[in-house]
Formats: sequence, C-alpha cells, structure tokens
Amino acid sequence: MRGVLSSEWLKLRSVRSTTYTLSAAALTVVLAGVYVYYAGTVWDGRDPAGRAAFRATAPEVGFLPLLQVSLAVLGVLAITPEYATGMIRTSLAAVPRRGVLLLAKAGVVAGVTLTAALAILFATYAVGRLVAGDRAMDFNTGSLGGDLPLLLGSAVSVTVLALIGLGVGTVTRSTVGGVVAVAAVLFVLPIMVTFVPAPWSTRAASLLPADLVRQIAGQELSMRLGEGMLSPVGALAVLVGYGAVAVAAGAAALHRRDA
Amino acid sequence: MRRAGTVPHSRGMIEVRELTKRYGGTLAVDGLSFRVEPGLVTGFLGPNGAGKSTTMRVILGLDAPTSGEALVGGRRYATLSRPMTKVGALLDANAVHGGRSAYDHLLCLARTNDIGPMRVAEVLELAGLAGVARKEVGGFSLGMKQRLGIAAALLGDPGVLMFDEPVNGLDPDGVRWIRGLMRSLAAEGRTVLLSSHLMSEMQLTADRIVIVGRGRLVADTTVAELTGRYPSLEDAYLALTAGSVEFGAGG
Repeated sequence: MRGVLSSEWLKLRSVRSTTYTLSAAALTVVLAGVYVYYAGTVWDGRDPAGRAAFRATAPEVGFLPLLQVSLAVLGVLAITPEYATGMIRTSLAAVPRRGVLLLAKAGVVAGVTLTAALAILFATYAVGRLVAGDRAMDFNTGSLGGDLPLLLGSAVSVTVLALIGLGVGTVTRSTVGGVVAVAAVLFVLPIMVTFVPAPWSTRAASLLPADLVRQIAGQELSMRLGEGMLSPVGALAVLVGYGAVAVAAGAAALHRRDA
Repeated sequence: MRRAGTVPHSRGMIEVRELTKRYGGTLAVDGLSFRVEPGLVTGFLGPNGAGKSTTMRVILGLDAPTSGEALVGGRRYATLSRPMTKVGALLDANAVHGGRSAYDHLLCLARTNDIGPMRVAEVLELAGLAGVARKEVGGFSLGMKQRLGIAAALLGDPGVLMFDEPVNGLDPDGVRWIRGLMRSLAAEGRTVLLSSHLMSEMQLTADRIVIVGRGRLVADTTVAELTGRYPSLEDAYLALTAGSVEFGAGG
C-alpha cells in the first residue's frame, strides 16, 4: 500500500493539471483581498449609521465554491485521464488489487485537498481581516475560535467534494461526468430544494454540502429555511459519509467491470 | 497459496484454458486453449478482431473471462504480489498520460511494485530513451512510445513478457532492436508472447506460432513446421486464416 500511495502521489505531482487546479483554488486568497478592499472603500464612504448597518460576507464563505470546484476537479482528474488515455490498464496491471489502487488515489486526493484547503482558507481568512483593518464589517467582528468550526467544516467539504469527483469520475470514466456531478451537487441541487414545499425544503437542504458546513458551524441554513435538522457532529458525519459513499461506489464499479 | 491442480513445472508458463470471453452479444474469444513455454518466442497471430488483445487482457486480469481461465505460472495474474516482477506487458503504447515525463511515468509504475529508481534509469537506457527521459511523453512518436512501453514491461525484470504489436511505428533500427531483444529475452529462459501482423518479421523472431481466428485456435505449432509446409510464414498465415478473416476487403 505504501508503494501504491507514493506512486499515486507522484502521479498527481507530475502533471500540470494539478498545478492549474491548485492555482485556481489559491486565487481565492487574491480575490478575498480585492473584495475586502472594495468593501472597505464602500465602508469608508458611509456615515456612522451606515457603517453600523454594514454587512459584508466573509471572503472565506463567499469564495468557498471556487475552492470547492477547483479542488473537486483535481479529484476528478486523479482518475479520468487514466480512462481517456488507457493508462488505467497499465495501472491495474501494476496493481491488480483494484480497491487498493482506488483507495491510494482517494488517500492522496484527500491529503492534498485537505492540506491545500486548510492553507488557502486560513490565508483567505487572514488576508480578509488584514485588509479590513479596524473597520467593523460584520464578518470580521468574531473571534478566530468562534470562526474555527466554519473554517474546518469548509475544508472538509472541499475534500469531500474532491472525493465525490474521484468516485463519480471512476463510475462514469469521464471528466465531464465527474465535473457535472460536482457542479450539480454544488449549484443545481441548492436551487432545486428551494422549489420543494416546506418543511421538506429545510430537511432536504440540511443534507446539502454547503448547508452541512453551516450546520457544522452551528449556523442556520438561511433566513428562509431556518435551522437545519442536524447537530454539528451529525452534519460532519453526513458530509464525510458522502465522500466515503462516492469512493465506495467508484471501488465497486472498478471491481465489477472489465478495465 | 497455490491453486489446486497446478502443474509444478508451470513456473513462467502462460496457460490459456478453454477461455471464452463475451462482450454483450459479441463473442471475442471462443473456447481458446494454448500454452506459451519458457525459453521461446511465441508469435501470436490472427486477423483483426480475432481475440488476441482480449486474450492478453484476460491473462493480465484486466478483463474477466466469461468462462475458462488464463494462468501465469499456474496462478491467476490478479493473485500475484508485485506482479511486474513476474509478468511484463505492453498492450497499448499510447496508453500513457501525455503530460508526464518518461521518467516519471516509469517511476509511477515502479513504485507500485517496490522497484527502485535505479532500475528506471536502467530500462530507459536499455530502451534508448535515456536522452529524452525528462521530456513529456505527449511529444513522443509512436516508435518512442513503443520503446517506453517496452521499458515499462522490463521494469520488474519479469520471467514472462507479453507484447501486443510492439513493432508498429518503429524505424528499421527499432525493428531490429526489438527482434534482438525478443530473441535475447527468450534465450535467457523467459517466456515471450509477441503479437504482430508483420509476418516476415515474425518469421525472423518467433520459434513457435499460435494462430487464432474468430476467437478460436487455428494453429499451435513451430515456425519451422509452417515454413516447411508453406513457401513462407505469410503464406501459411493467409492459408490458415482464410476462413476466419472478419474485416477483409471486398472482391
């Protein structure tokens, strides 16, 4: 298993797409600086009453989808080019235990995306607060301790989406399939649940990744949907469960089918 | 963990037993049985769609047989530990990530079987790719990719080797290199299964010939026997496979 892990780590490291997806994810930090700088100029132009009512979304919350999509694509690209090129046959001839191969990929993808997500989220957090300075723009009024569950939950959600990308990419053997699945989970499902009649809309939303992150942080889903139905620990378990199910589905497909 | 019924002296031998492989409604391999012995180059011949590549994929555990089995050294490939040290295979030279360097590609494979980077450098040298080791594979010609695939097959210094059309795209120098390599691998006592459509080349390289047509065994004999009965291996092949060509030109 160690050899397979180090092989998969080298596979990921030795292609340019990894640099591209990590760079796209790291763009979050730059965008956070620009966004908070702009919000700061607006804040500066307000009178004291306007400043007191000023509410800016935290950059690490607003730009999280960029981080999620970029690193989910990294997860997809950990497997689908192997199908596109036929490299998967060479890989499986080298590692005939298919579950081991996919588990090694999942381990490397999880390690890389979690490390990158944590680094980028904390950098985004820090840049946002530094650029804001002593302006109270709502998002920067809490303490790091209070914001920590949201930051950690966000990082976990990034990794889970990368594993969903890896799993669906393995099942569909297609880059498009993996990316569409991730985009659907992130952007299409949240819109769809708003069409579901209450209270089912809240229950359904409670299970979506973005709302699981809010529940991990103990926040309400939204003004309209109110409180979610899961505890922070329950929400974390469901989130991690998605990643596990996706990888298991990929392993089952890899095991059952001819390569 | 030996399987029941294993022949003790089957180490290094490829045995295909009553192998049938069906893809949906298509019968790719139909009750095929043959053996590939150590110390010889065995040519694997047959028209397009005869089931050669399918048979090789089943031997490597990539495709599951519908019935029958394929064994290497008396065992199913999937049960081998560090399989690259027992069996080396080149199935498709283009099956590499174009954005990875030749060295990284081989090192990725080597690490899975606990093969060191020294051996990677060795096989790159052996395949004549040492000068382009750090170049991306996407820029390689088909001939260079064939050399890379052969280097990958040799990584684990295996006793059993399988090559599917390794000569395609190689220049005359490369064709001669492959011929010498196949001969020397067999002379070292290794088992070599080599598929090709180039009959003149096969006549020069192979000791034994297995011919398949429409997934069935057509001939399993020596090159000497075939060239004794027919003017050339090409004539023998065309006569023997006349009834089993699936994709022939009209008229």
